[in-house]
Amino acid sequence: MKLALTINGVERAIDILAPAPVCRFQLGDSAERSAHVETPEPGVYSVLMDGRSYDAYVEETPNGLVVSLQGHRFEIEARDPRRWSRKAAGRGGEGVQTIASPMPGKVVRVLVAAGDAVHAGQGIAVVEAMKMQNEMKAPRAGKVLSLPAKEGATVAAGEVLAMIG
Amino acid sequence: MFRKVLIANRGEIAVRVIRTLREMGIGSVAVFSDADRTSRHVRMADEAEHIGPSPSAESYLRIDRILDAARKHGAEAIHPGYGFLSENAEFAAACEDAGLVFIGPSAESIRRMGSKTAARRTAMAAGAPVVPGTDHGIGFEEAREFGRTQGYPLLLKAVAGGGGKGMRAVEREADLESAFRNAASEAERAFRSAEIYVERLIRKPRHIEIQILGDRHGNMVHLGERECSLQRRHQKVMEECPSPLVAEHPEMRQEMGEAALRAARAAGYYNAGTVEFLVDQERRYYFLEMNTRLQVEHPITELATGLDLVRLQVEIAAGARLPFTQQQVAWRGSAIECRIYAEDPYSNFLPFPGKITRLTRPLGPGIRIDGCIYGGWVVPMEYDPLLAKLAVWADSREAAIERLLRALSEYDVSGIRTNIGFFRQILEDAEFRAGRLHTAFIDEFFERHTPPQPPDELTAVAALAGALHTLARDGAPEATTAAASQWLRGGRSDLLR
Repeated sequence: MKLALTINGVERAIDILAPAPVCRFQLGDSAERSAHVETPEPGVYSVLMDGRSYDAYVEETPNGLVVSLQGHRFEIEARDPRRWSRKAAGRGGEGVQTIASPMPGKVVRVLVAAGDAVHAGQGIAVVEAMKMQNEMKAPRAGKVLSLPAKEGATVAAGEVLAMIG
Repeated sequence: MFRKVLIANRGEIAVRVIRTLREMGIGSVAVFSDADRTSRHVRMADEAEHIGPSPSAESYLRIDRILDAARKHGAEAIHPGYGFLSENAEFAAACEDAGLVFIGPSAESIRRMGSKTAARRTAMAAGAPVVPGTDHGIGFEEAREFGRTQGYPLLLKAVAGGGGKGMRAVEREADLESAFRNAASEAERAFRSAEIYVERLIRKPRHIEIQILGDRHGNMVHLGERECSLQRRHQKVMEECPSPLVAEHPEMRQEMGEAALRAARAAGYYNAGTVEFLVDQERRYYFLEMNTRLQVEHPITELATGLDLVRLQVEIAAGARLPFTQQQVAWRGSAIECRIYAEDPYSNFLPFPGKITRLTRPLGPGIRIDGCIYGGWVVPMEYDPLLAKLAVWADSREAAIERLLRALSEYDVSGIRTNIGFFRQILEDAEFRAGRLHTAFIDEFFERHTPPQPPDELTAVAALAGALHTLARDGAPEATTAAASQWLRGGRSDLLR
C-alpha cells in the first residue's frame, strides 16, 4: 500500500508491504526493509529495525504530522486524495493570500475592515498568547476579501484571520 | 515556626514552594484564578482559595484578595514566588500591616532595589561598578541627548522593568523615536508605568548573577554565581553554575560576590536576593540590577551548594539566624538548567499554549525537574509559557552536558510545541561546549547553525511511523484493494491494542 509523503519538504513515497507488528516497507527507491513495530502508548511507535531500537513520537499538528526521533524532527505530510487538504483550501484561488495565526491565542485587535485596501507589511490583526503580542501583517498589497478575525475571539494555530486578494 | 503559609503565585514556583513547606511540616494555601482551577499547585496544596478571573490584574495581582484569602485560611506568612507581586513594595508593606510575614526582604529594601534606577543609585553609592546611563526616568529628548553625548548603540529600559519587557536596543538616532515609543507602551502594559531610562549598550556581554542570602540579624553570605547568558527576547533559557568563565577565573566569584554583598547591604537587605551583573569581553563586570526575590533559576545553586533556598527563606522570615558562615559555603560539581517553555523555537519562539496530550519525564541519576504540568492539562494562554525547569547535576561541566542530553532524549511533551529539541542542538554546539557564552548567543546560533541531517535509517523509521499513524487514523487510501484493507485493519487493531 503506497502513500505519498512529504518529509521535511522532500517528497518520498512509502510502500507498506506488510502491516505492523511484523512490518515490511520500502521508502522511495531504497531497498525493502523489515521492522517490528508496536504502539506502547498512543502516538508512540516502538520500532525494532536491524537489531536497533527506536522510539518515534508522533504528533498531529494543523500542518501535518511531526515525528520526533532521537532529537531529530521530521515534519511529515501524508497526502491522501480523499482527505480535504487545508493548504489547498486555504489558498482559496489564484492570487489570494491567507493570513493565519501562527500560534493559539486571542485576537486582541483587528486593525483593518473587510473591503479595505492594504499595503504590503500593513498590520492586519494582533494575536496575544502568554503575555506576548504578535502582529500579523499583510504579505503583499491588496484588498481584504474576508476577515474572520474578531476582537476577543480565541483562535487555534493555523486558523485563518484574514484573506487578501 | 509558621504553621501555615500562603503562596501568592501559580505554576511551577508555587509547586516548588509547596514541596518544601510539606517537608517542613508547614501547611500550604494555594490561590488560583478561573484558568487555574485544575492547575498542579491547586491540586498539591493543603488548602486552596479562588481569587478571581483569569487575567492576572484581576487575580494574582490583587493584593486585597490575596490578603483576604490569607486571613480566611489563617495563614501566618506569604511566599510571593517570582513575578506577579514578588517585587511589589506595597504588597510587602500590606502583608506586614495585616500582621502577616512577607517571606522576602523589607518593603524598604524592595523600594531601594525594585526600580532599576533606584538600584543603580544604591549600587553606585556602595561602590559597585554600573553601566553608564541615566539614574532616573527620562523623556525622548533626554534620550536623544544621551545618544549624542555617549554615542550609539544604546539600550532603552523600563524603570519598573524585568524579563525584557519595555527594553529596546537602538543602533542609531533615526530609530530612537519609534523605539522609545514602543518601549514606553510595552512598559505601560506590563508594569503600569511607562517610565524609561537609557544605558550604553554593551555588546555581547555575559550575564552572570550572584545569589545572596541574609538574615534579619545582619548576617549575609553569597552563594556564588549563575551564568544566565543564554537568552531569547532578553529572557533566560538556560543557566549554569559554575559559570564557565568563573571556572577559568575563580577569583571572579569572590570579587563579584563581595560587590553583590556591598550593594545588598547598602539596601539593608535580608532574605534571598540576586544581584545581576553584565560582564564585558574584557571580563569587567557591571552591576545591572537586583532581583529582590527568589530567582527562577535558583535550583542550580541548590544543586551546586546542597542547600534548600526556600527552606532558608522561610526560616529567615521566621526570625532564624543564618545556619552557616561564608567560609562554610562550598560548591561541588556542575549544574545546568533548561527552561522548558511552551513555545516554538522554529518559528521565532512564539508561545504555544494548549492541551498536553502525552507526557514522559526523564528520570535517573542527577535529574531534577521543577514543573507544574501533567498529561491532559491545558496550558493556559493567560500566563507565562514556562512549563518546567529541567536541571541536572554532575561532577563536571562535560558530564553535566552529557547528562542533560540524555535527560532531554527521555523528555516527551506532546500536544503543544516546546523548546526541548532546540536545547539538544545547543548542547551539541561547539561554541556552547567551549563555554563561549554571551547574551546574543542564541541569535548567532540560529545564523550559523544548520540542523544536522538525520541518517537514512532515522528517516526511514520516521517515515514508517508517520505512514502507520496516518493509516491507523484515516484508514487506507481509496486505491487499496479489499484484501489489502483486510490486512490493514488487522494491522490497525494491532496498533491500537
